[in-house]
Amino acid sequence: MIERIRHLGQQGCALLEALGRAGIFLGQSALGVPSREGFHLWLRQMHFVGVMSLAIVLVSGLFIGMVLALQGYTILVDFGAEQALGQMVALSLLRELGPVVSALLFAGRAGSALTAEIGLMKATEQLTSMEMIGVDPLRRVVAPRLWAGFVALPLLTIGFSVVGVWGGQLVGVEWLGVFEGSYWSNMQSSVAFVADVGNGLIKSLVFALVVTWIAVFQGYDLIPTSEGISRATTRTVVYSSLAVLGLDFVLTALMFGELS
Amino acid sequence: MFDNISKDDEAMTDSAFVEVESVHFSRGEMEIFRGVDLTIPRGRITAIMGPSGTGKTTLLKMIGGQLTPDAGHVRIDGQDVHALSRKALFVLRRRMGMLFQSGALFSDLDVYENVAFPLRVHTDLPEVMIRDVVLMKLQAVGLRGARELKPSELSGGMARRVALARAIALDPELILYDEPFAGQDPISMGVLIQLIKRLNEALGLTAVIVSHDIKETLSIADYVYVIADGQVMAHGTPASLDTDRDPRVSQFMHGEPDGPVPFHYPAMDFHADILGSGGPR
Amino acid sequence: MKRSKTMELGVGLFMLAGIVGLVFLGLRVSGLSLSLPSDTFQLEANFANIGSLKPGSRVALAGVTVGRVESIELDTEWYDARVLMELDGQLEGQLPQDSTAAILTSGLLGEQYIGLSVGGAPETLADGDTLRDTQSAIVLEELIQKFVSSMIKE
Repeated sequence: MIERIRHLGQQGCALLEALGRAGIFLGQSALGVPSREGFHLWLRQMHFVGVMSLAIVLVSGLFIGMVLALQGYTILVDFGAEQALGQMVALSLLRELGPVVSALLFAGRAGSALTAEIGLMKATEQLTSMEMIGVDPLRRVVAPRLWAGFVALPLLTIGFSVVGVWGGQLVGVEWLGVFEGSYWSNMQSSVAFVADVGNGLIKSLVFALVVTWIAVFQGYDLIPTSEGISRATTRTVVYSSLAVLGLDFVLTALMFGELS
Repeated sequence: MFDNISKDDEAMTDSAFVEVESVHFSRGEMEIFRGVDLTIPRGRITAIMGPSGTGKTTLLKMIGGQLTPDAGHVRIDGQDVHALSRKALFVLRRRMGMLFQSGALFSDLDVYENVAFPLRVHTDLPEVMIRDVVLMKLQAVGLRGARELKPSELSGGMARRVALARAIALDPELILYDEPFAGQDPISMGVLIQLIKRLNEALGLTAVIVSHDIKETLSIADYVYVIADGQVMAHGTPASLDTDRDPRVSQFMHGEPDGPVPFHYPAMDFHADILGSGGPR
Repeated sequence: MKRSKTMELGVGLFMLAGIVGLVFLGLRVSGLSLSLPSDTFQLEANFANIGSLKPGSRVALAGVTVGRVESIELDTEWYDARVLMELDGQLEGQLPQDSTAAILTSGLLGEQYIGLSVGGAPETLADGDTLRDTQSAIVLEELIQKFVSSMIKE
């Protein structure tokens, strides 16, 4: 029994230590002084995590918007309220599905790739050799990736929501025959720019920070073997997904809940 | 390019460049060093040898300031490496080059950019001069024609030569070689031996080689330290070690399979084990 | 360097698309309007009950959206709701003074909005004027109550 409690304490200490390391890591890499060179590195990473993730995010957004319209219509039509379809699609996308689903896709597409890439650089001693050349790998390797993720995910989220609203219109208006004017006007009268679009973007920024942070830290902190890399990649996806869903609840309660 | 540069004068070469003083280090429960003392003279090739798993690479990482000893000091040119601030350490590292076992070339840059990397980071040279220096260094390792290749397109030996060109790009005073001969075919081994020797003779570089390839290392080293069991077991010139009577030294130097360093991992008596004294496996 | 140029272009387009998307979310989805404040004028109306009317709800004339509800506050003199509307500047000086405002519902459970009906008086409404003739929101519970009590009487 005492052994079990001791074990629990040990795990608690290890967790705290890992959190501390991750915090120091974030501070050291994010506070780099931006330079021309750094901008180019950032640009390259923007291409890698942003542009390359665009296709999967947009396609998913389209389908989610279409499914929302289809499901929403079958429920709303029972109440004779199918003209509120636009409102339902837009609010679900802007407040919840846009930020959350694009963050989950981002963790799977870009986060795991970031972990594997940095992990491989560590395993092949590239990070150590960079240090020996006198260049801080936190600044050179980690910082551009961190900032690229932080900027790219909110942009992807915007794309997701826009395409989703369009997909909803495609299904609701073109296929199911909801009147186009009421689709848009109901949406416009119920969506508030600051409260809905703005809060959705704040969520997305928080998710961007957390997902990229987890991804680069897992890559930097892993055990440099092939098994270590594969484990760290899995951990990135699992931890990011849990963090996104958990934080989403907290943020939703703070932003839209009756608690405030 | 090395022809007209003369070796440093003799007075300089005999002073110690790197001093390792009673270093202790352990990883977890495992004690790796129990008081290691080394002196690496300026302008010479010093080899650190020993069986696998004795922490030779760990020692190299300590000299490079990547690991901190539990006790003891490492001094480079009079500066205590582990008492320096992060910034001062990075400044000191510009005077060192390190050749990694795997080459450790940056996989997203081509050969040319890999060699140019230290120059771009640490100097404000115009592009024309960077080009000249890079081509000079690549010429020295015989890979000027491979400048546009990616690291993934190089063979192991070529990658190590490119890494060597990168390590000497800033003309360092000290160069650390981590297992430079491991896993090389005889030809590239010969090329590397020749390169290391030429660099030392022509530029007066201080070199530290960590290796367990005895024949190759002894052929170029000026002085040899043998490390085992966390301590310096023997040191001397290659010739004096070759005739050393200490059974442990002689076992290592002549590559005998069994001796004071046992062939078997510690285990219970073979007969008792095989006759099954009750264990499940 | 050619590869890096196309990469830069790609990232540039990506960021531009993000900004355009945000503008779309602002204008088309949340219905923000870019028109200048001088293009609108304000009218007030008092309602006994506004139901679930909210700031931002639309104001329609013959079913066409001509403005939005700017603010709603309690009139402490009469204890009813004072609604401030922001209307299209084109209508300034065009609406007769005896025009009426009613709170209507789109569909059975839809959003509530203000519907304007044009009167016949020669004088017209100017910026800041008040609509006198208003009709409150229909509250479903009251309607049912009336219906039930009339049933009992019979």
